[in-house]
Amino acid sequence: MEAESIPQAAREWIDRIATADLMVGVLADRGGALSISVVRQALEKLREIPRTVVIQGRGPESQDGKGAPYAASASAPPENDPVFFVPWTLLGPNSSIAPFENMASAYLSVLAAGDKLGVRAACVLASDLQTLTSQWISRLVQPVLQLDFDLVTPCYAHGKFDGLLNDSLLSPLTRALYGARIQNPLGPDLGISRRLYQRIIGLDQGARPAQRAQAPTSIAATAVCSSFKICQAHVGVRLYPPIDWTNLSSVLVQVLGPVFLDVERNAACWQRPRESLYTPSFGERMAVPEDQAAALDVGRMWELFRLGTRDLLEVWSLVLPPAILFELRKLSSLPPEQFRMPDELWARAVYDFALGHRLRTMNRDHLLRAMTPLYLGWLASYALEMQNAAASAAEQRLERLCQAFEATRPYLVSRWRWPDRFNP
Amino acid sequence: MWDKAEQALTESTSRLLSQVASFLPGIVALIVALFISALAAWVIALGLRRSLTGIHFDERAKHWGFASPAEWSGSKSPTLLVTRVVSWMIILFGFFVGIASFDATLTSQLAQSAFAYLPNVLIALAVLLAGNIIARFLARSVLIGGVNMNLQYARLLAVGVKWLVNVVAVAMALEQLKIGASIVNLAFGILFGGIVLALALAVGLGSKELVSRSLEAEAAKSAGNGMEPFRHL
Repeated sequence: MEAESIPQAAREWIDRIATADLMVGVLADRGGALSISVVRQALEKLREIPRTVVIQGRGPESQDGKGAPYAASASAPPENDPVFFVPWTLLGPNSSIAPFENMASAYLSVLAAGDKLGVRAACVLASDLQTLTSQWISRLVQPVLQLDFDLVTPCYAHGKFDGLLNDSLLSPLTRALYGARIQNPLGPDLGISRRLYQRIIGLDQGARPAQRAQAPTSIAATAVCSSFKICQAHVGVRLYPPIDWTNLSSVLVQVLGPVFLDVERNAACWQRPRESLYTPSFGERMAVPEDQAAALDVGRMWELFRLGTRDLLEVWSLVLPPAILFELRKLSSLPPEQFRMPDELWARAVYDFALGHRLRTMNRDHLLRAMTPLYLGWLASYALEMQNAAASAAEQRLERLCQAFEATRPYLVSRWRWPDRFNP
Repeated sequence: MWDKAEQALTESTSRLLSQVASFLPGIVALIVALFISALAAWVIALGLRRSLTGIHFDERAKHWGFASPAEWSGSKSPTLLVTRVVSWMIILFGFFVGIASFDATLTSQLAQSAFAYLPNVLIALAVLLAGNIIARFLARSVLIGGVNMNLQYARLLAVGVKWLVNVVAVAMALEQLKIGASIVNLAFGILFGGIVLALALAVGLGSKELVSRSLEAEAAKSAGNGMEPFRHL
């Protein structure tokens, strides 16, 4: 992503501001606009108030809660005010590209703007702004500005059925492969140091389109593999965006595609033997209200898993070894109340799909879409197990899943190195 | 009189012998051409088989969607099939070269028309191959999409799509080969017209309520009833 890709109007603003210490890029298109008071409150919590640039599509939110439009003929920003707002809608309206590609492009645009301004820290906010408070910004940037960390990932206070793709796959995979215990490796709200964002931009410029690092999926992996300092910040409750269930397979394609590409790109890094390490966390955790168990109905997910084991075995057999197919077939014959997918089975299946993605055993879009029934199978199993459990029990359950991913890591290493010979 | 008869016999014998003598080089040439082409076919097939084995062609063919070659050929593996097809084409080429060496008008014409027909055969083969690949790709797309939409008849749909595309490919290949082109066109008109008419009648008359109930049920399922508590990202 070149600095030339910044729109002319935004570039003029950035040129007028010239330099800054901190940049806050608001990618969120929900929940209104970020207000000046929130930004100021966040900055007041820092040791020194940095010269800050806020990039967002709408003007700073006024008292009535509406984002004011930017004045078309705005003059140069006042010198005595440390906060500057730059009008730039980062998430493009281009509907021809997938939402996640749009998001990745917006991340790189923000980072390119930060590079142009020479900021010491960039904070990207992509979550719904309704629940966003000043501590989100301060906690995401404080470790970068004051403690010399390079990447701050968020820890959200979420219910046991929130962020499930992250909890079931992305977080355990990052922990098992890269040895970093990060709750939300994909953010999407992140604090990034200059060193790291310059590295991300450099990776994007140097690589072929297929090999490009895609933000936000590549940021954590790049940070770990390049030995950058990583920490987590407890930011608070996040409003999770609703997902169209009919398009869950598209979500898997858009999220897991770049993640598996990263696994391939960083193979030399993650194949080195390593133990997972604790990642320092800042801020106090917030409790969330318990999910209502009565509303749970896993019937459709279980049904879809069974349909997958009936009709997709031929497709799965191109990716999964016979032993796993046998286990899946056995699982599909169980009644719903006894249905439990073992963590090792799920972890191995994920690893096999990552390997299949690398080997292109079939069209990659088909491969990732074919994973949907398996994911829903794990989800149904988890939901049945955790239906009446407390949030702490769910955390322990997810910790066990992470450990299972770590325990089965040698399986991936063997299969990755000898895909033809090691096929249990 | 005996002299004349002897002369006629001698002439006819010498004529026959000269014809046989003029025919012999052609036969020898045919045999030599066949021998050389068989040798070339063997060598090329050997090299081709080794190359295909080296690049794991069988596995690749499997990954491309040719899961069971027995479905579309009697060969045991795609590698064997490709090498056999190539070697038989080389032998056929040698045969035509040998036939052409007779210098007889009929054989020349036969060879010429065969060579003129060869592009059609090659195009027909390419159409069949492309059709097969497209059919399998589309069938897999439909199967995975159907399962993800929780359609119980996803496999049936996928098989239907596969055969539909395959049948279209076969029809195109037959037309390219100029075999019963008008019959193929007519058959297709009747077949597709029949399918569309049957569907229209089914939806419009007999199965109207059934179809609407089925669509409503699918829409309700797709809307994600019972899945609201879960958030993914």
